[in-house]
Amino acid sequence: MKGKNQADQIVLEGLYGKYAPMVYRRCFSMLKDDAEAQDMVQEVFLRIYERMDSLDLSQPSSLLWNTATRLCLNRIRDKHRHGVDVDSSELLLTIACADDEQESYEAKNILAKLFSREPESSRTIAMLHYVDGMTLEETAREVNLSVSGVRKRLRGLQAKLKNLEVK
Amino acid sequence: MIPDWKLERYLTGDLPDSEMREIREMEATDEIFAGRIKMMREDNRAILKKMPFERLSERLDAMPARSGNGLKGAGSNGAGNGVSFTLVKFATAAALVLAVVTVALFSQREIAVPAQSGAQVMDVAMADAVLAGDEGDTRIKGLEARIEVWKKTADSAVQMSNLDEAREGDEIQLRYLVPEKCFGMLFSMDGNGTVTMHMADDNKAIALEPGKMTTLPFAYKLDNAPKFETFYLFTSTNGFSINIDDIDALFKNKDVRQEHVTLRKVGGK
Repeated sequence: MKGKNQADQIVLEGLYGKYAPMVYRRCFSMLKDDAEAQDMVQEVFLRIYERMDSLDLSQPSSLLWNTATRLCLNRIRDKHRHGVDVDSSELLLTIACADDEQESYEAKNILAKLFSREPESSRTIAMLHYVDGMTLEETAREVNLSVSGVRKRLRGLQAKLKNLEVK
Repeated sequence: MIPDWKLERYLTGDLPDSEMREIREMEATDEIFAGRIKMMREDNRAILKKMPFERLSERLDAMPARSGNGLKGAGSNGAGNGVSFTLVKFATAAALVLAVVTVALFSQREIAVPAQSGAQVMDVAMADAVLAGDEGDTRIKGLEARIEVWKKTADSAVQMSNLDEAREGDEIQLRYLVPEKCFGMLFSMDGNGTVTMHMADDNKAIALEPGKMTTLPFAYKLDNAPKFETFYLFTSTNGFSINIDDIDALFKNKDVRQEHVTLRKVGGK
C-alpha cells in the first residue's frame, strides 16, 4: 500500500485514536455485546476508509456517530429478521426494523448523486431524535438538513412505524 | 443531565466553544460530573488498549489497494501508485537564503535571533523563548522529538492540533524539536498523495541540533488539495534518505522515528 493509501491510513489512524472509544461506546450501547461492538467499530472505520475520497470529513464526530448508528441499526434489523434474539429496547427495535424509503433511494444512488454529502437515513434521524434525545435543531445540524426537513423525515417514518404496528 | 452524545463530543473537543466552556466549568465545580468524565477518559484508554489500531490496520492491509481518484497531473500517470513527488529542495543553507526572499510572506526566525519588529513578532517566537530559555544547545531531558504546525492569523499565529481544520490558502509554519543530536527531515503529504519536502538535503536527512524549538525559515501555503495535509518529522540517530518511488520503505524503517500532525482540509478560503 503506497502513497495515497498510506496517507489515508495515517489519517484513519488519527481518527481512530481520537474517536474509536466514542464509536465503541455507541456500538456497545446499541448492540449490548462487547465482541459485536468491537467488530462493529472495525466495520465503521473500514467503511470510512473505503469512502474517504467521497466523504465530507469536516465533522468526523458526526460522521462516525451516524455511521455507527446506521450500521448498528442494520445489524439489529438483520438479526431480528433472522430470528436471532435481540437485546434492544422496543423503541430501538422498532426504529431498526422500520422501512426506510430514504435508504432505497440511497441504494439506487439517486440522492448520492444529488448531494455531495451522504444523506442520512430516516432511521438514523429517528435514533438521534427519539433515542439520543437531540432536539430537532440539533438533529438537523447533525444530518445537515433543515429543521422542517427533519420533521418531514420523522413524520414519514412515523407513518411507516404505524403501518408496522398495524401489520 | 448532559446526554451521552454531547459528553462524547466534549471529550473529543467537537462542541461549539460556548458549550465546551459551559461543560468545562461544570467539570471544575461538580464533583459527580467530574467523576463521570474521569471514568470516560479512563475508559477511552482502556478501549484503545483493548482494540488498538494495529488490529484494524491488519484488515486494511488485507484490502485490495484503492486506486484513488483526484490525483494531480503527474501523480496519476501510468507509473501507478498515485504519488507525485514535488521535491522542493531545501537544504538548510539554501533555506536560509530563501528566508530573505520570503520574509514578507511570513515572519519567522530561529529562536535565538532577536525579534525584528514588534508588529511582526508572532506568538510562535514567544513560545520559543519559553521553551528554549538560555540553554539553546543542551539536551532537554524527557522530551521526545516533536513537530508543531502553526497557522498564520491576521496579526499572530495559532498552533494547530492534530485533525484541526485548515483551508486552501492558509499559511503554515513548521517547527520541530529533537531531544538529542540526530538526523531528520520534514515533509508533508496531501490528500492527492502529493509529497512536498520542507527540510532535507535533496533526499537525505540533515543533521539536527538538539534542545531547542526550531522554526523553519519559510512558510508553506496550502493549496487546494482535498481532505487533508499531513506534516511529518522523521528522525534517526543515523543518517537516512527517502526514496521517492518507495515512500513506504521509510514508514517501515524501524530505525527511523516518525511524528506527524494532520490538518483536515475544509471548504475554500
